[in-house]
Amino acid sequence: MTSLTTKTLLLNPLIQLKTSLPLKFRPKIASISARLDNSQQQMNLSVLRFTLGIPGLDESYLPRWIGYGFGSLLILNHLLGSDSISAAQLRTEALGLSLAAFSITLPYLGKFLKGAAPMDQTTLPEGAEQIFVMSENVSIAQKEALAWATYVLLRNTNTTSVLILTQGELCIRGYWNFPDGVSKDNVLDWFKSNIEETGLSDLTDTLYFPQTADAEFWNILPQGTQSVLVQPVLLGPNPSTNDMGNIEGFFLLASSMRYAYNEKDRAWIRAVSNKLRSKN
Amino acid sequence: MPIYVGGASLLAVLFNRAISGIAPVADASSSQSRADLLTLGLAVTNVLTGLVWLSIRPKSITPVEPQGVECQEIYSHLPESVVSEILWVWESLSAVTCCKSLVIVYDCQCIVQIGVAAKSLNIDEPFAVDAAKLMQGSLYQGVLKSGAQSYMANLSLYPGRSELPFLPSNTQAVILQPLGDRGIAVLGGDTIRGFTTSDQTWISYIGEKLDATLAKYMSSMPSVVQE
Repeated sequence: MTSLTTKTLLLNPLIQLKTSLPLKFRPKIASISARLDNSQQQMNLSVLRFTLGIPGLDESYLPRWIGYGFGSLLILNHLLGSDSISAAQLRTEALGLSLAAFSITLPYLGKFLKGAAPMDQTTLPEGAEQIFVMSENVSIAQKEALAWATYVLLRNTNTTSVLILTQGELCIRGYWNFPDGVSKDNVLDWFKSNIEETGLSDLTDTLYFPQTADAEFWNILPQGTQSVLVQPVLLGPNPSTNDMGNIEGFFLLASSMRYAYNEKDRAWIRAVSNKLRSKN
Repeated sequence: MPIYVGGASLLAVLFNRAISGIAPVADASSSQSRADLLTLGLAVTNVLTGLVWLSIRPKSITPVEPQGVECQEIYSHLPESVVSEILWVWESLSAVTCCKSLVIVYDCQCIVQIGVAAKSLNIDEPFAVDAAKLMQGSLYQGVLKSGAQSYMANLSLYPGRSELPFLPSNTQAVILQPLGDRGIAVLGGDTIRGFTTSDQTWISYIGEKLDATLAKYMSSMPSVVQE
């Protein structure tokens, strides 16, 4: 018989226990303590999961199957029932069918829980080349700072392509694709002209497009981009001039995943952009 | 949320049976009973799903205000660029993570002590960092040997706590980041398990950058007297 000690396990999340019961078709109750790496907070979860022990079967859809099954059985019951169907039975069936409908939609609602499903992996954009170019007239210190910033952004976030424009100088790294006819030497000029058209240099606030949208600067981004983040490089508030932040340039980050940058990522990206402020 | 739906419908089914005057016998003989049983089964499924969802909700942990003195001490002989880099590191860490104290020891001396520090005995001054003692301690040696970051998510569980007397006594989490093989950065946070994995990776990259910067400037200076 199922022992109800699993109830006490709910209170002590650090116990890892799998009780497998002798009867073949009883559900296995597994209590897992897990840390999800892809979520915002560090969560110590105690997940009580019902698993039938069948590999490859996603148990979160179980309410949906149960809803379909029981719902159809209810309807069958109704049709095969005796001639007079009492009002009470009709009430029960109505209740049962609404519960079945609710169960069917449960897995869909469950996806919106915090910490539910992991995100899909980054896919590389097709037909894109990996490049790393930088404007010529940058100081050595600035070169190092740009190289480190682009490196860290590509490694640590879900970014596939990064473009930094600061103090009129460009640094581009990652996967980009350009139209034919643009050779390696002209790359910088091509980007410069396109960027001037988009007017991103005058941006004062962070722009974040978590899903593909019809933004005007889409033509320079590699194909397959799904989220874009534009972070302006702001000077801190200057008390002498009443200007709230002169803009020195911006960071453009593109990713092939949707919702690629969560709150924490964006905070770190803001911090990295502060590094490239000029010091005065 | 499904718990309420499931629980309410459970009660509704039983109530329904009760008021329709049917004998409370749970058998599958009449179609009414069968319908009741199916509905009961659905209600139970909902209740259980609700239980599963409950356990998925993250436990929220409150931050603990660190007790101590605010300080910002940076070794005075560092060049301007290094100082601004260190200030940038502190600004980012305190803004993005739960870090409330930062101590950097490099080449056997304490370079930086920013944030909240423990109070010295009897006086209102921040507790000075004894770099030599720290470097001989087991925490530093362990981190140096492994070359990797060490994250103590719940500081009260670690006996090595006594080697970090300069951190406020109620610091909740500590990250020890080695800076190459010449130094260490100690970050104190105000929440248990407050540093996420992404924070940890960012901190290790920042540690590498700091090590590169400090190494460049320390090697170009004559050997300094330990303070």
